[in-house]
Amino acid sequence: MHPIIRLVNRNLTISLNKGFLIWQVIFPLIYIFVAGFAYTALIHSVPFGNKSLDYPAFIASGMIGFNIMNSTLISGIIIWNDRRHGMFEQILVGPFTRAHYILSNVYTIGIVGLISAALITAVGYPLFFKSVEFNFYTIPLVVFASVTGSILFGSIASIISTRLQSSEGFNVVINTVFLFFAFVSTAFYPAEGAPEPLSTAFYLNPLTYLVDVVRAGIFGNFSTFIGIEMIALVVMALILFTIATKFLSRLEL
Amino acid sequence: MAVDHIDLSVNSGNIFGFLGPNGAGKTTTIKLLTTLIAPTSGTINILGIDAIRHPLEVRKKIGVVLQQPSYEPTLNVEKSLEKYGMMWNVEVKTRKDRVEELLTAFDLNEIRNMKNDDLSIGQRRRVQVAREFIHDMDLLFLDEPTVGLDPSARRGLLDFIKKKVKEGLTIFFTTHILNEAEYLCDEVAIINKGKIIAVDTPDELKNKFGREKTIKIRISETSKDVSALLVGIRDYEIDLNSGTNITIRSSDSEEVLLKILQILTVNNIPIEDLSVMPTTLEEIFLTVVNNSNASNNQIS
Repeated sequence: MHPIIRLVNRNLTISLNKGFLIWQVIFPLIYIFVAGFAYTALIHSVPFGNKSLDYPAFIASGMIGFNIMNSTLISGIIIWNDRRHGMFEQILVGPFTRAHYILSNVYTIGIVGLISAALITAVGYPLFFKSVEFNFYTIPLVVFASVTGSILFGSIASIISTRLQSSEGFNVVINTVFLFFAFVSTAFYPAEGAPEPLSTAFYLNPLTYLVDVVRAGIFGNFSTFIGIEMIALVVMALILFTIATKFLSRLEL
Repeated sequence: MAVDHIDLSVNSGNIFGFLGPNGAGKTTTIKLLTTLIAPTSGTINILGIDAIRHPLEVRKKIGVVLQQPSYEPTLNVEKSLEKYGMMWNVEVKTRKDRVEELLTAFDLNEIRNMKNDDLSIGQRRRVQVAREFIHDMDLLFLDEPTVGLDPSARRGLLDFIKKKVKEGLTIFFTTHILNEAEYLCDEVAIINKGKIIAVDTPDELKNKFGREKTIKIRISETSKDVSALLVGIRDYEIDLNSGTNITIRSSDSEEVLLKILQILTVNNIPIEDLSVMPTTLEEIFLTVVNNSNASNNQIS
């Protein structure tokens, strides 16, 4: 078995505990069903490109992107725990290189991101099935969003985990950053209608691009703007992944 | 701690003890030898492989128990041994057999279902050391493996190590507990302030540096002033409180002992107990390190 596959196996075993699974499934379900239906009385329909979506369909599709982002926390947690509990050094005195370690984290978050996306798509499907427009780029777009989003947000989590020393600092920073990404994005509400500074901030946030790409895939609404968002996602993911790799490579032992 | 011009060679199938005071450079040397860090100059050859050019090839053939704890907090003891075997690509059947063998050898059966996070420091250390024996290797680095272990676990580990060495394993071992090194090691090196100051077998080190012996005599209580009787004899100490314990530390200890015995006999002072303490590796270690510190101070 290839060293990277062995490390991915190990990463999944140590990460997929009950707490994480509950966090990954229950939390989005609460948003989809509770917030989705509770806000329907206030938000009747949401414009998305040339379509009009009901709010439960809008938030359920937003939750796919949100869950992809959340699942990448795993990357930061793995690196953080490995440093804290001595496994980072232990792995590096074993039959592995730093490149194996970094790539195993990328594959782990890719797998978890894809599974999360599939899970929330399955759970949210009853809510958005009326508006779904499957076509030949639906699955490629959702997979693209899952993989690019996983690498992008996983890199952010990795960077944070390599820079901070205390567990309190790590938790505060990672939760603050991810909370900002979650709520200053179009995952929960549309940019249209929000105050100007806020709607501008939405488009400084990669989660907005990720969610837009997922929605474009599900609701068959691909446009030039979505294409530009995809390019922006790739560029940001590459830059952040390069920085994360540099930080991990230079991590002192 | 930086290390400077270290020149070591370890014989295959031996236990090599690497001793030194805190901060002497032991862990840095282990990090260099296990390829965790690269040297600024020099060569490192491990098992015939250039460790600077082919670190991964070296790491595939060695095992390392680092000084710092390392564990998977969310896994239980059995699962963490099993997963570690998987990481080393140990075949499933072999892995299962070895997990059972190690759980027994390291007395871990009772805690096999406990999560690593819930273990005591000593239990976690036992798991960490046991884990390393799940995979095949030619050379094992043990950086203070017995820290936190109780005496019986410590002895169990040392005996397990001896057994593995008989089966052909080579071990590079650091410890602060010098009677462990004496019990275990075929050869020892002493490092101080980043430099090797002695390398030899424990017996040869004793021959070189351990001429001074310690003899203890306990005499019956007497009204006579023993100190006055022993005037003229050097290299002895007397416990002035009780006046009955005499300690001789001398490179001519036998000669001093004979003189004291004569004086005690002539004065009818009965001897209750007499013991000759062999020179320990700890005494040698202290002598060598103190000599090294003294010569460093003179130079500076």
